Amino acid sequence: MKSFAYVNAAGEKEAVAALGPERGRFLPLAGGMDLLALMKDYIAQPDRLVNVKGLDRAIARTPDGGLRIGAAVTLTQLAESAEARRMYPAMTDAAAEVGTPQIRNVGTVGGNINQRPRCWYFRNEEFPCLKKGGSTCYAVDGENQYHAIFGDGPCHIVHPSSLAVPSVALNAKFRVVGPTGERVVDAGEYFQMPDRNLFGETVLAPNELLTHVMLPPPGAARTATYEVRFKQSHDWPLAFASVALSMSGDTVRGARVVMGAVAPIPWRSPAAEAALTGKRLTEEAAMTAADAAVQGAKPMTLNSYKVQIARTAVKRAIMKAAGLKTV
Amino acid sequence: MARRRKKLEAGSWKLEAGTQQQPPPAAQAAPPPAPQGPPRNWPPVADRTLIGKSIKRLDGPDKAQGKAKYTYDIIRPGMLYGRLLGSPHAHARIKGIDLSAAEKLAGVKAVLALKDPAGEGANGKAFYQGDEIAAVAATTEEIAEDAVRLIKVEYEPLQALATAAQAMSADAPAVFPKGNVSQQSLQQEGDVEAALKSAAHIVEGTYSTQVQTHTSLETHGGICEWEGEKLTAWVSTQAVHGARDGIAGSLKIPQTNVRVITDYMGGGFGSKLGFDYQVVVCARLAKLANAPVKLMLNRKEEHLVTGNRPSAYAKVRAGVDAKGKLVAFDAETWGTGGAGAGAAFRVPYPIYVFPSRRQRHRDAYTNAGPQRAFRAPGHPQASFITEVVLDELADKLRLDPLELRMRNVLSATDPSQEDPSRQWRKYFPMGAEKIGWSKRHPTGDPASGPIKRGMGCAGNTWGGAGSRATRANCQILPDGSVLARIGTQDIGTGTRTLVAIVAAETMGLPLTGVKAEIGDTNYPFAPGSGGSVTVASVSATMRIACENARDELFAKVAPALGVEPSALAAKDGRIQVKDAPSKGMTWREACKLLGVQPISADGAFGPGLSSTGTSGVQFADVEVDIETGVTRVKRIVCVQDCGTIMDKLTAESQVYGGIIMGLGFALYENRILDRNTARMVNPNMEWYLLPGMSDIPEIDITLVDQPDRGPVGLGEPPVISTAAAVANAVANAIGVRVRKLPLSPDAILQALNEERTGGTL
Ligand SMILES: Cc1cc2nc3c(=O)[nH]c(=O)nc-3n(C[C@H](O)[C@H](O)[C@H](O)COP(=O)(O)OP(=O)(O)OC[C@H]3O[C@@H](n4cnc5c(N)ncnc54)[C@H](O)[C@@H]3O)c2cc1C
Ligand code: SF4
Repeated sequence: MKSFAYVNAAGEKEAVAALGPERGRFLPLAGGMDLLALMKDYIAQPDRLVNVKGLDRAIARTPDGGLRIGAAVTLTQLAESAEARRMYPAMTDAAAEVGTPQIRNVGTVGGNINQRPRCWYFRNEEFPCLKKGGSTCYAVDGENQYHAIFGDGPCHIVHPSSLAVPSVALNAKFRVVGPTGERVVDAGEYFQMPDRNLFGETVLAPNELLTHVMLPPPGAARTATYEVRFKQSHDWPLAFASVALSMSGDTVRGARVVMGAVAPIPWRSPAAEAALTGKRLTEEAAMTAADAAVQGAKPMTLNSYKVQIARTAVKRAIMKAAGLKTV
Repeated sequence: MARRRKKLEAGSWKLEAGTQQQPPPAAQAAPPPAPQGPPRNWPPVADRTLIGKSIKRLDGPDKAQGKAKYTYDIIRPGMLYGRLLGSPHAHARIKGIDLSAAEKLAGVKAVLALKDPAGEGANGKAFYQGDEIAAVAATTEEIAEDAVRLIKVEYEPLQALATAAQAMSADAPAVFPKGNVSQQSLQQEGDVEAALKSAAHIVEGTYSTQVQTHTSLETHGGICEWEGEKLTAWVSTQAVHGARDGIAGSLKIPQTNVRVITDYMGGGFGSKLGFDYQVVVCARLAKLANAPVKLMLNRKEEHLVTGNRPSAYAKVRAGVDAKGKLVAFDAETWGTGGAGAGAAFRVPYPIYVFPSRRQRHRDAYTNAGPQRAFRAPGHPQASFITEVVLDELADKLRLDPLELRMRNVLSATDPSQEDPSRQWRKYFPMGAEKIGWSKRHPTGDPASGPIKRGMGCAGNTWGGAGSRATRANCQILPDGSVLARIGTQDIGTGTRTLVAIVAAETMGLPLTGVKAEIGDTNYPFAPGSGGSVTVASVSATMRIACENARDELFAKVAPALGVEPSALAAKDGRIQVKDAPSKGMTWREACKLLGVQPISADGAFGPGLSSTGTSGVQFADVEVDIETGVTRVKRIVCVQDCGTIMDKLTAESQVYGGIIMGLGFALYENRILDRNTARMVNPNMEWYLLPGMSDIPEIDITLVDQPDRGPVGLGEPPVISTAAAVANAVANAIGVRVRKLPLSPDAILQALNEERTGGTL
């Protein structure tokens, strides 16, 4: 990897001060599970790393009855938090299945949400693709079996973060700090499609930091995440879904249905949400919603199988939230 | 230019020839060597104190504690770090190499160009991604890496062939000097066309298996240190002697000037059998820099340039008669072993009798790293193709596939005789019993719900005879210590422990009473650890060396006890009279009689102590989620022999490892080249999927001991049948055949989908 300078930031202010406005030159380092791999592969070549493990690492109740998760909280910490598990199983289930125990012990919430795409063309130096400033997306007529089935390009990554998807389903707010102070962004607005932002995946400016994920009070919502993985460990989901269903009795009053690993951002499905609303929670309702969720999917040359997997993930996430048997 | 030619002469791959790897089925194993010397035997079964017991490997604790130093761990005083520059293009002309910036970087001690822009053929071209262009040695790994990136290479990228189909297509660019596709080879017996006409049922289909890389945990490479004209090389190799000869040949120095050491070795699976080009580069860097150099590949290079199991494709027509007797197997086959390398495999798999058979095979050359021997070369591919066809034929017959195998598997040529190397008729029922075959449903699990359960089975064979060239040395020292030396290597299989077992058993001593020394060309010649020859070669030869040494000791002791040497036995730490065990002396007392003169006895491989030919079967029990295409293997049952079991624990280890590797081949592993550039998109362990702990099912192993045969190799057979058994189990579960590996969710959903839409089935 390229040599770099290292700054140990004590807190938010110092960290932001040590970052700069130029993309890629100064980068925050959290657990390093993603960033160090990018640097070893010469995909990221920062001049300076700013250690942000000094950001908040607490999971705390908010006055309104929600939960506030610090960016430096590890995935293990989140997965094992009894409070988080009771309130937001969609979130803790997602955290618990990331990568491997080692990755979860070191990887952080902030790093997970801001990790870079896993597209193998992006990750291999020999392919100067669009996202790296080149002129082609190699995935389009190449090896796109793990790529997006939604979106119009020009880049066809799937967003890699497992936490991003339940964050959107749970209507989380992200607290962001920058040189001019702080702002709060809806999780649903945080991630950006490649036609708007080709070189990054979020609204974050290079000198901004994500400091907290704030989850609204769960109320009577039932939430779940269901992932379809090939290997049990040390692998990525082929597709997954997080759902949050607000219930009155056993009827769905409102639903948020979000799919992961299918698009450049967590992919919310208004059609599936509409299909569920006002319905009793049954396997049929789940199936109808799942069919609606993948309506309009535009698979690439090699990944139409992912449509079926995404559909299954949505169906089973709904059934899991409803307390029904998933298989 | 001259430098590059060395590489080609050394035969790491031959562009023109299209090197073939021929699978050695049991039937073709080398004939047993002619008898010589006194008759040799292992002790009677009842007297064996170590052989056949469960013995923990001697270096296990050292490995677990990190005390065992692998090549990768070795650090020599003043050592530099070497790094290679590989071509980023799968096919390119090298138009210029400018080393100057690298040479100027502080800390860089040597830089070498490995291609010649003015050179012809492979000299001036890169034929696959990672093809070595230049090398550096520097004081740290980081500087070496930086230096490599400072080398400026001017490439003229050329059109590359990524797949066998591309290479074989009519409008393919001419990439390889002698054509992109080899001449068709023909193997045949009987008249397939006539036999197929007579068949009651015929199965037709195209079957394929992917390219699998060896993915050794310890990457290839070594450390080279010169002392004047003498070179010591610590190499991660499966063949210390082979590596010595290869290095000496490439450097054009006498073999006497090269010593190769391999104390511990982190996996090779065939890819470290041939000597490695990078070690030669390492030696040249060390000479140039006048300092020891370590050059070990990184993970990406390991995937790209250190070999692979070639892909296999077979368009098959096979027939069976109404009574369930196989009649014919006709296959047009092809595959790619990469740049100029063959992709041989032989179908039908030789344990089943197809009276008429034909195989027409062509190798397609592609711009990818050349293949190398890979654990049972050719066998897993051929096994998958044949065993899946068998299950399809059984379905046509509406016959239990186990029964079809029982009717057609090879058995002793003379029915009144039992052939210990053809035990499938015994093992299939044993495995069936263990897996619960009686509960197996016909093709297609009738259970409702998305999770479908199924079972499948497959059989295998291997040679595994010892090599006649093997030599060993045994020393008995006056203080009673015993040294067993042989220039074999322990590639993770337990060879060091095996040597100690043989020596201790022969001397009647505990394991702690002997010292095994291996992994060094200063010790007597033993063959490379490939073809599963090691156990048979090493045990038989070491037994002879130890018997020779022991007999010399008997000769010293006999006069003191007033008996003939032949009346003596070494047992329980004593030398004693066979018929009057109380008459004797302790081993130490006996050795004191040597005075100052130790015994040193050699042994040459001899007959009678080992054998050849194994049989094995595997059964798989799987669950497939038909809504996601995800397969989980629940259980593998294996019944396997390997002649006389020398150490039950390490033998079982081989089987576990083989099955896990077979599982990787069945479900996960796949070298994926970008179809447009022929560059590998998954040269890592993230997207090159390997089974992890949680993906490994319950594995139930029955090792059948054949205590009178002597040992036969076991390294390769356990990897052969797993993928075939799993594939058959998947089809039994979902009711649809998946005719290609790996059995990814993608492949399974696609097969289910084609079935639903009335596709290829
Ligand atoms: C084999 C494997 C399997 C994996 N499987 C999964 C999986 O299933 N699901 C999943 O979600 N992930 C998976 N991962 C990825 C892993 O979870 C992430 O790499 C990890 O969570 C990143 O966290 P980190 O703290 O180590 O981030 P880092 O590597 O330190 O940082 C990641 C990125 O985020 C930026 N960053 C860090 N903190 C902040 C902040 N507070 N504000 C703004 N930017 C910041 C960094 O600059 C960097 O670009 C897998 C990884 C591997 C290797
Ligand atoms: S999908 Fe995006 S990251 Fe991948 S090759 Fe295309 S442009 Fe590059």
